[in-house]
Amino acid sequence: MKNLIKDLMRSKAGLIGAILLLLIVFVAVFAPFLDLPDPTRGDLRARLAGPTWDGLFSPGAHPLGTDEVGRDILSRMIHGSRVTLLVATTAVVLGGIVGTALGIWAGYKGGLVDRVLMRLVDIQLAIPLMLLALLVVAALGPSLRNVVLVLALTSWIRYARIIRAQVLSLREREFVQSAHAIGASTMRIMFFHILPNVLTPALVVGTLELARIIIMDSALSFLGLGVQPPTPSWGRMLADGRVYISSAWWTVTFPGLAIVLTVLSVNLFGDWLRDYFDPKTRNKK
Amino acid sequence: MKNLQKLLSATAVAACMTTSAFALDITIAQTSAVNTLDPHASASVGLDLSVLSHIYPTLLLRAPDYSLQPSLATEWKAIDDLTWQFTLTPDATFANGEKLDAQTVAWNINRVTDADNPKRISSWFSQVESVNVISPTEFQIKTSSPYPALADQLSMFMLLPPEWAEANDPTSETISGFLYEISEYVPGDHITLKPNESYWGDESAKFDSVTFRVIPETASRIASLLAGEVDMINSVPASELARIDASDMASAGAVDSTRSVFIKFNTEKAPLDNKLFRQALNYAVDKDLIAEALFDGRANVSACQVMTPDYFGFNPDLTAYEYDPEKAKQLLEESGVDLSQPIEFELPSGQYLQGAEVTQAVAQMFEDVGVKTEIQSMEFGAYLDKYRKAHDLGRLSLLGQAWATIDADGLLTLFKPGNQYSYWNDATFDQHLIAGGSTTDQDSRLAAYKAATEVMCDEAPVVFLYAQPATYGVSSRVTYQPRGDDWMRAFDMMPAE
Repeated sequence: MKNLIKDLMRSKAGLIGAILLLLIVFVAVFAPFLDLPDPTRGDLRARLAGPTWDGLFSPGAHPLGTDEVGRDILSRMIHGSRVTLLVATTAVVLGGIVGTALGIWAGYKGGLVDRVLMRLVDIQLAIPLMLLALLVVAALGPSLRNVVLVLALTSWIRYARIIRAQVLSLREREFVQSAHAIGASTMRIMFFHILPNVLTPALVVGTLELARIIIMDSALSFLGLGVQPPTPSWGRMLADGRVYISSAWWTVTFPGLAIVLTVLSVNLFGDWLRDYFDPKTRNKK
Repeated sequence: MKNLQKLLSATAVAACMTTSAFALDITIAQTSAVNTLDPHASASVGLDLSVLSHIYPTLLLRAPDYSLQPSLATEWKAIDDLTWQFTLTPDATFANGEKLDAQTVAWNINRVTDADNPKRISSWFSQVESVNVISPTEFQIKTSSPYPALADQLSMFMLLPPEWAEANDPTSETISGFLYEISEYVPGDHITLKPNESYWGDESAKFDSVTFRVIPETASRIASLLAGEVDMINSVPASELARIDASDMASAGAVDSTRSVFIKFNTEKAPLDNKLFRQALNYAVDKDLIAEALFDGRANVSACQVMTPDYFGFNPDLTAYEYDPEKAKQLLEESGVDLSQPIEFELPSGQYLQGAEVTQAVAQMFEDVGVKTEIQSMEFGAYLDKYRKAHDLGRLSLLGQAWATIDADGLLTLFKPGNQYSYWNDATFDQHLIAGGSTTDQDSRLAAYKAATEVMCDEAPVVFLYAQPATYGVSSRVTYQPRGDDWMRAFDMMPAE
């Protein structure tokens, strides 16, 4: 752990990513305790008001302006981050659990199980993920739960492939062979001997997946298939604000910026994490 | 003589071309692509029918001031309650030489009234019993019951050449019988029209070419207009009009449209079957604020009816429900409705001008009096399927309706018990509608619709909101006569001086 932090301090990009990400998560978690205007209620008379820093701390100030029905954009952005992060992390964890489990199973068992699962992965890889997500949400109806399910569905294959490749080499290692020789059950070997050794790659895949899923979640809500108004979400804010893009730039600029910064910080952090766990790049330093 | 006229107008066009060659090619932006080229297979005035009305002739045309003007028919009158007589322009033909005579009109009406092969617009003529051809330029239409709006309806009915239509597929091919013909068609992108050389009328096409281009994004439409790429756009958010007007390239404005926007109740489901609850929701919405803030004062608040003042049958004595949240709360209490569960509020996305904004504003006003809602946005097609096919409309939804004949006889029928669109079954209202439809006498019709609108106002099967403004922007290269009934036609425009 000490090593980890020391290495992070040395990597500029990783450090910036980590700080930014921590900040975003912190604000998202503590949003209800910040004294923000209600993100779902607006004042029609104050619609499309521009950003202003006058009277910043007075009630009714809109430092980042208001949207097309007079709601505070700063508050919607912050509350939107809660929704986005909740959806993205749940989907990543869900996809990670399913993908890792199936990857271990396929890699360790081999044979028919492996062939069927990997062909399934191939089939899903051949379908554009956005199309798959659109179809499923359109069929099940837009809701928070369905969006999480859909995003997890598009995510498990990436874990499954990478984990399976790891397991293929782990399977031949002595500690696995010896566990097998003393009569450990397959379940036990997979759970106690293989799983701990694939957690690191799973973690790295997970971080990179997080960035992709945030983008995809925003795309789905941009298309109106994510959480429903008036609940704030970044994609939806972009979609509703784009009509006014040339007369009220703040309606799209700030939610757009939120997506960019979040994804950037996750990617920077994820890249560093990958380098850290990859012996080849770590030893070079 | 006729040839001389043609020669003269041709020279006039040529003269214009040399002086202002660019002013004669115009582009009109449409919000979505044309679905079909068969004028009998679409009822979409703002889209398919607008394009096709440049190509196919109609008996009458509706002018921007909503008056009916002669086109192929020179005269028309109701002889008695059940008979209409029309006189046609002699010697009119399609581009392939087929005659545009009474026989052709009869064939076209029979094509859509054929019970074995119904068309999208067959319901327009369900009351038509027969067409009697008297001479090549005269015919009569007999109806089974009085149909005072028949002439208005015929202004949307385009004519196909019978022989050509038998041999070709009208859904994907066209042949001209009017001012313009198609010179290029790229499905989903644009349709370009050029003047029809063999047009039978006296006036001539005012533009060398008219292009209908599909630009679904509002911001892109405005940008294209300001960049001089298109000459006309519609569906502009009200607050953007001033910005367009400020530019040298274009001007913008709004007129009252014939489309009323309201919150449709599904009164077949609880608690919307409760009259007090429905009235309470009407008191809960600040219609003036919506019209003023969201539409910059360009929308007119509905006077407790779905008709706008342009309609025949508009009731001038009704006034809108006042905005009175206290009264709404009181009525909600009296209604005894359990308010703990949220009510679904369906929003057809992208269909109505600033519809998502109105829906969210109304939902917030409902919440202020204690009625929780859950907005569900969906594609307009999915919404229509629920509304029309599945008959499973959400308890609340945003809806805008208009009737192209601008007559109570059409628009109020959408609320008639038994109509698949109604979701409201009121016997008294039904009686008044039946009374209004059983005569062509103007005064008795007005009296009947007055009574019907009074019932509707009191029973409140919708939250009456506002008449959607018909917003538009036009480039400074053309002048345009704005209209509020969805038609987008080059013949409402003139090259600017």
